[in-house]
Amino acid sequence: METILKCENLCKTFGKRNILKNVSLEIKEGDILGFIGPNGAGKTTTIKLILGLQNITSGKVTINGYDIEKEFTHAIKRVGAIVENPDMYMYLSGYQNLKLVANLYKGITTERIDKVVKLVKLENRIHDKVSKYSLGMRQRLGIAQAILHNPNLLILDEPTNGLDPEGIKEMRELLVELATKEKMAILISSHNLAELDNFCTKVCIIKNGEVIETSEISAIKKEASQDLKLFEVDDANRVKNIVKEIVVIDKNRFKINLPKEEVPNLITELVQNNVKIYEVKQEEKTLEDAFFEKTGGNVIE
Amino acid sequence: MSLSSLVKNELIKIFKKKTIYITMGVIFLLLIFMNCMFKYADNGNTINYYLYSENYVQSLKSELETLNPDKPSDVTTYINILSDIQLSEIMEQHKDAEWKLAIINERIAPYISERNTYQYGAEKNEKQVEIINQEIDELLAKLDENDWKYFAREDLAQAEQQIEELNRQKEQTEDTAVIKNIDSQIQTAKTEKEIAEYRLNKEIPYGNDYLNRAISNLQMANSNLASFENTDELTYQEKLEYNSYLEVQAESRYILDTGNDINNSDSLKGILQNFYSQFGIFLIVVVVMIAGTIVSEEFNKGTIKLLLVKPYTRSKILMAKAITTLIMIIFVIIVTLLMEILIGGVIFGFDSLSEPVVAYNFNTNTIQEMNIFANLGLQTLTQLPMIILLATLAFAISTIFSNSTLAITISLLGYMSSSIINQLAIGYDLQFLKYFVTMNWDLSMYLYGGLPYMEGMSMLLSILICVVYFLIMMIPTFIVFKKRNIKNI
Repeated sequence: METILKCENLCKTFGKRNILKNVSLEIKEGDILGFIGPNGAGKTTTIKLILGLQNITSGKVTINGYDIEKEFTHAIKRVGAIVENPDMYMYLSGYQNLKLVANLYKGITTERIDKVVKLVKLENRIHDKVSKYSLGMRQRLGIAQAILHNPNLLILDEPTNGLDPEGIKEMRELLVELATKEKMAILISSHNLAELDNFCTKVCIIKNGEVIETSEISAIKKEASQDLKLFEVDDANRVKNIVKEIVVIDKNRFKINLPKEEVPNLITELVQNNVKIYEVKQEEKTLEDAFFEKTGGNVIE
Repeated sequence: MSLSSLVKNELIKIFKKKTIYITMGVIFLLLIFMNCMFKYADNGNTINYYLYSENYVQSLKSELETLNPDKPSDVTTYINILSDIQLSEIMEQHKDAEWKLAIINERIAPYISERNTYQYGAEKNEKQVEIINQEIDELLAKLDENDWKYFAREDLAQAEQQIEELNRQKEQTEDTAVIKNIDSQIQTAKTEKEIAEYRLNKEIPYGNDYLNRAISNLQMANSNLASFENTDELTYQEKLEYNSYLEVQAESRYILDTGNDINNSDSLKGILQNFYSQFGIFLIVVVVMIAGTIVSEEFNKGTIKLLLVKPYTRSKILMAKAITTLIMIIFVIIVTLLMEILIGGVIFGFDSLSEPVVAYNFNTNTIQEMNIFANLGLQTLTQLPMIILLATLAFAISTIFSNSTLAITISLLGYMSSSIINQLAIGYDLQFLKYFVTMNWDLSMYLYGGLPYMEGMSMLLSILICVVYFLIMMIPTFIVFKKRNIKNI
């Protein structure tokens, strides 16, 4: 598979503050990369460096083999993006906004515009002024203008803001379709992990301007969950007196970090202390738990 | 993927916004208002120009009663007020013709105050009073003959006689100083003769209409030009003055020769020939508004990001916005002109458009006639540097500081203070301001071979200075825009 976007050791400083430190990431065609980090971690800054909206202090961004700083127009040609908010021209209709975009690329036909409008399910409201749109509708219009010219790299900065659960589900389906059918590479940033849980193929976790983890999504969850065991007993508080390391969840349940081999020993010890054990199981972690584990909570330095 | 698609998009953005329609609508209403003002402001009867109002005469009379002519402190005021009252009484009796009032005002009024001075003043002289009264009565008798030409013929005869007399005196003397003095007196007499001939040949009765104004302007110009005659070396300031009198002289003669009221502002042509001095401010406001928002608004609304991730270099994007501003300048000028032609035409009629615009050519010392539309084109060309530079200022400030309010305010303040700066520069002869932009951006001073504000300026130099200022503003704007980090909004 071909690499579409490659960031190598991106650094960005504003005055004395280092906003980004050696951020590297790579997206291949058909990939959906979840770019995850707490607010202020540097997600939007990274995206702005990728799109040439800010100067790169050091490092390199290549898109489709072109350097974003040296060959901007070639590099940006096949990129579609929403940065921060879906800022559209509010005094124009959705359709007029798309027409403005179409004017700036070669060969975008009216049929293409209509097709994209249908794709983002805006066909009923496309001729209304954008100022009358809800935030969710503007997000969808933002995606429409980003994919209008058939890009092979789509960069979406918090695209689920303002969408209802139904809208989020629809967008996921749309993005998966774009990635699989059109072989688009997609970078999607978010601080809301739950919505990235099931459809990203890769995640990149960023904290305080540093990438702390890049891996396949299944791997990161598995790794974080491995040692966590959940016990169901008759009195969890009594167990606390016997084994100090446990985390009591409620009267009947507790959690403990324990390698597989140690589990029989703990069971034996509890049975000897007359604790009734109803169930022992491997705890399934959500991406969110994994995220907090990796980032150590949402701390901005 | 060219510049033209970017420009097309910029134009779409401007014309889909309400702002441009609202501002042009406001200008339309202002134009209607101003044209109505031109039409109805000055329709007063010219007879009233001379007559005192009844209330005023009444107040003079009551003031007179409080004064005592025997008191030395009161006597001057007493004489003045009494003369005014007597003058107004005579005028009341002769208000059947304007020319009579003009004659009374010009020729009888001095006699009345002279008589009153002899009657009530410090040196009383009954005999003089008697003589003056006779003169007044003679003049009044002539007025009753209802022939204004009598006075003109009298003037003519007097002037001719005077010229003859002066020439005779000139022959009898060798003294250059005396000859100089006589020459200047001959000049004055010749002016009197010229005017009297104009009156008789062109049938111009005494009064206060544009022909009489042309006569008094001619008189003024001639006497001022004569006063320069004896100066060998004119300073630049004097040269400017001298030229302006030449212009007045030639224009006045043209008015008297053709009977064409070239300065009449109560016609469509009259308004259009002063288009930029009357309505320039409207154009400037709209143009500055467009130039001051075209970049910064995209920054403030966040839409700049949409534009900057398209496959165009930043220079191209900014260039498109600059070109769009230029197109809008031309658009606003044309639309405002068309609106004025429409409104002025409806209010004053379109007939005057066929009248020529008259201008004095300083090079050939002749009057030249010009079609009003050619004149409008010429006016526009001379004003374009100023309009473009003000737009550039707004464009630069709004791009560099992304602050529309600052850009618009500074540009408009610059426009308003420019005439003050120029007046100071000319008034105090501040030579270093010769190269300042406001002294050079209005090229109309060079029209028809006119002299520039200061010595050493030339049209080519002015255009060059304007280009330099344009580049000084534009180059940093492009650099800043190219290097700029798009901050979070």
